[in-house]
Amino acid sequence: MLESLLEFAIQGVVLGGLYALFAVGLSLIFGVLDVINIAHGEFFALGGYLAFAGIVLLRWPAGAGVVAAAIGTGLLGLAVHPLLLGPLRRRLGRRPAGPLYLVLTLGLSTFLQSTLLLAAGGEYLRVPPHVRGVLDLGVTAVAYQRLLVLGAAVLALAALFAFLAHHRQGLAIRAVAQNPDAAQAMGIPLGRVHTLTVALGVGLAGLGGALMAPLFNVYPAVGFPLTIKAFAIVIVGGMGNLAGALLASFVVSLAEAFSVMAIPSEWQNLIAFVVMIAVLLLRPQGLLGRAVVR
Amino acid sequence: MLVVEGVRAGYGRLEILQGVSLTVEPGALVGLIGPNGAGKSTLLKTVFGYLRPGAGQILFEGRPVTGLRPDQARRRGLGYVAQDGGLFAEMTVHDNLVLGGYVLPSRRAVRAAIEAALERFPVLRDRRRQVAGSLSGGEQRILALARALVTRPRLLLVDEPSAALAPGMIDRVYDALVALHRTGLALLIVEQNVEAILGVAGRVFVLDLGRNAFDGTPAELRGSDRVRRLYLGEAVA
Repeated sequence: MLESLLEFAIQGVVLGGLYALFAVGLSLIFGVLDVINIAHGEFFALGGYLAFAGIVLLRWPAGAGVVAAAIGTGLLGLAVHPLLLGPLRRRLGRRPAGPLYLVLTLGLSTFLQSTLLLAAGGEYLRVPPHVRGVLDLGVTAVAYQRLLVLGAAVLALAALFAFLAHHRQGLAIRAVAQNPDAAQAMGIPLGRVHTLTVALGVGLAGLGGALMAPLFNVYPAVGFPLTIKAFAIVIVGGMGNLAGALLASFVVSLAEAFSVMAIPSEWQNLIAFVVMIAVLLLRPQGLLGRAVVR
Repeated sequence: MLVVEGVRAGYGRLEILQGVSLTVEPGALVGLIGPNGAGKSTLLKTVFGYLRPGAGQILFEGRPVTGLRPDQARRRGLGYVAQDGGLFAEMTVHDNLVLGGYVLPSRRAVRAAIEAALERFPVLRDRRRQVAGSLSGGEQRILALARALVTRPRLLLVDEPSAALAPGMIDRVYDALVALHRTGLALLIVEQNVEAILGVAGRVFVLDLGRNAFDGTPAELRGSDRVRRLYLGEAVA
């Protein structure tokens, strides 16, 4: 029994790393821009495709391929705000956006999936593991590839949190998230911060896609199920709260891992939404979100 | 230093300012008063770039600033302190001051500017690591002023510095504003607390229903029975 629990815990923690890369990026974009990025999964897929291009086609070392894929996704993400979100924001002025950003990013999602399909076809592309072999822990064995995902996620998120806490631009991002008007009064250009934020957020998704490519294969819609689950994770953590998204990622992944002890594995994907509903009923602001006093 | 000519501005289709004009001379302390809804805060927001005027022009040091974004206005030498202080409540006093120096060219310049701010407002030194939202109302107002001054603006726009403050704290805030004025900083202060502003301003503008209603010195304002009665209440001596 203990061995099973330990095995599920390890698997859950490893999966939590991937969820965290995805959900923290999504939460970052929402927290700063107040935009739910439906296209987040397509940047995950893009990361996979860029990793395939670098590692399989150009025969780069795996590490270089993964880093290049993350950076490449982030660079492409730099175009999202100036070309799409920014013009809509300027057009709206101070009027509420309603569902417009949702529709816009849904359109971006469809565009990106179609472009990937056109450019690379619908075949599942295979990327070889970045590291081979398994780590035998006695009670279970964990593929080094999965440990790599967890380790890279921890490093990337630690770097992000340090950037937000100490770097001038990181402080600017936090300032815009808290009070955009006051941030402008400091001389912080909103458009530039929004552009950087989107690039960081989707860059994390691209990193996740590059790391997971050997495990999930690469195809245009690979990121969509993850997007839906990440919404639930972001809500569980508290909308726009990065620490909450990080915590919720592991809460959900561990819940999923342990759930197979009680329910058929085909139902695992429901767990995130069951947790979300439970949190909404008991603590609507999320695990680390702030309650709104009326 | 600041020339506002015939400015019309508002929120969407609601026009608040209907051709307002105002001037602030270099180094002056100018008060802007009037009844609720007169457009005082709206004028400040329009000058600083939060609102785009539909007509009129705004000149700062002889150069047009009409239509500039707030971050651009800041870089031109204008500073702004919002009515609620506009602090980043979840960040520390130190981080708020660091953000006040966002436009400075180097970390060294930011450190020096923060040190100067703490010299001027020593109450903040012991609270550097404290979260801004946990400060008292008066301390938050002091922090907002200190932060606005980190980059040494040449004109500071202040929206109701005494709002929701206890009388003792109002005195502290106004002592700070007067001390800043003595260094040569020009100030345009919107204020509901008429006595507080009349005691320090060299010139006062009164707005009513989005239009200019009076322009003169505090003594001239006090000498006008009509203005006193209409805009300040009979209690003003």
